[in-house]
Amino acid sequence: MSHLDIHSYLAAFDDIPGTRVYTVARARKGYWINQFAMSLMKPENRARWKADETAYLEGWNLDDDQKAAILARDYNRLLDLGGNIYFLAKIFSTDGLSFLQAVSTMTGMSVEDYQAMMLAGGRSPNGVRSIKEGN
Amino acid sequence: MARITAGVATSHVPAIGAAIDLGKTKDAYWQPVFAGYDWSRQWIAGEKPDVVILVYNDHASAFDMKIIPTFAIGCAESFKPADEGWGPRPVPTVEGHPDLAWHIAQSCILDEFDMTIINEMEVDHGLTVPLSLLFGQPDAWPVKVIPLAVNVVTYPPPSGNRCWLLGEAIRRAVESFPGDLKVQVWGTGGMSHQLQGPRAGLINAEWDNRFLDMMSQDSQRLRSIPHIEYLRETGSEGIEMVMWLIMRGALGSEVRQLHRHYHVPASNTAVGHLVLEPVA
Ligand SMILES: [Fe+2]
Repeated sequence: MSHLDIHSYLAAFDDIPGTRVYTVARARKGYWINQFAMSLMKPENRARWKADETAYLEGWNLDDDQKAAILARDYNRLLDLGGNIYFLAKIFSTDGLSFLQAVSTMTGMSVEDYQAMMLAGGRSPNGVRSIKEGN
Repeated sequence: MARITAGVATSHVPAIGAAIDLGKTKDAYWQPVFAGYDWSRQWIAGEKPDVVILVYNDHASAFDMKIIPTFAIGCAESFKPADEGWGPRPVPTVEGHPDLAWHIAQSCILDEFDMTIINEMEVDHGLTVPLSLLFGQPDAWPVKVIPLAVNVVTYPPPSGNRCWLLGEAIRRAVESFPGDLKVQVWGTGGMSHQLQGPRAGLINAEWDNRFLDMMSQDSQRLRSIPHIEYLRETGSEGIEMVMWLIMRGALGSEVRQLHRHYHVPASNTAVGHLVLEPVA
């Protein structure tokens, strides 16, 4: 195998429409978002979180933007701030949402429309492969 | 001598586990997903493998951001189902095979694969959903399982070629294990799906089906598919398919396809499933 150039490897990720690839840059930025979310795997933490979300967040090294996005369940914003979907899943699971319900909130579609799109075969890759190529 | 007798590929969508646990497999939505596994359940009941090396990824369950192993092998006696945020799945504890697992770990390290060794670990839907799909709801899993967790969450994950080569190393390890064991390798995850951002819901049935074809027909080409192609063509979570290549690499140069199933959707995901047998 020929050696990959790390810079072009990473740069290509920014050319995918509507997608935040979970790179090291994002992982570093969102470290505490993801570690906070992870804490919700424990039932006793879920209970404390549900009782007072704002107070629970005080225990974590999060900035104001990150806290606001968590409280608002703004998942696209959380991806921008370094959240990863499998970690964020602990938040929406605690809210009682399925992946399908939570994921639909990032698409600008209603849950019903999103569900109908999936039943009809999902979102076509045509037109959303590359920003540069427009294909 | 232990030997690898078959390979299984399957998606491991969490909603499939929930459908089984909640008794919804006959619902109109789920019936076509599960129908594609009927053949495989019969087949595996006849095959009776002793051990499954189950390649999967952990979804922020056993591993948080503290430690990110690229390839981690579970060497414990047993592995409990993880609580992923809604309580653990009501499935049996997974029994390991420490003798074979430690043998593979040592053998792979000598073979220049620097494995992370896990002595205590809980296993999430990535591992338990495939077991449920193939074995249903028994009181105890009828097979020992060696979990092999691959990082496909934080970039960069391993390349497809690296996965293939690890599969080859696993085969060498299994074949040098004294003891007459029937071992299967399962590659799980995929197929096309994207769980994040405005492009979520992406499905690429054409690409997925080409990938399924290539698993038995033109498999060398699978090794050089770059990450960016999985991302663009199959969605951000489609990258899980690199894990199928560990299974495929373990089966040797030629395989026979015994069974194939493809269905859209299960939740956000395209379900793909193969049963392959090495051609001696
Ligand atoms: Fe997965």
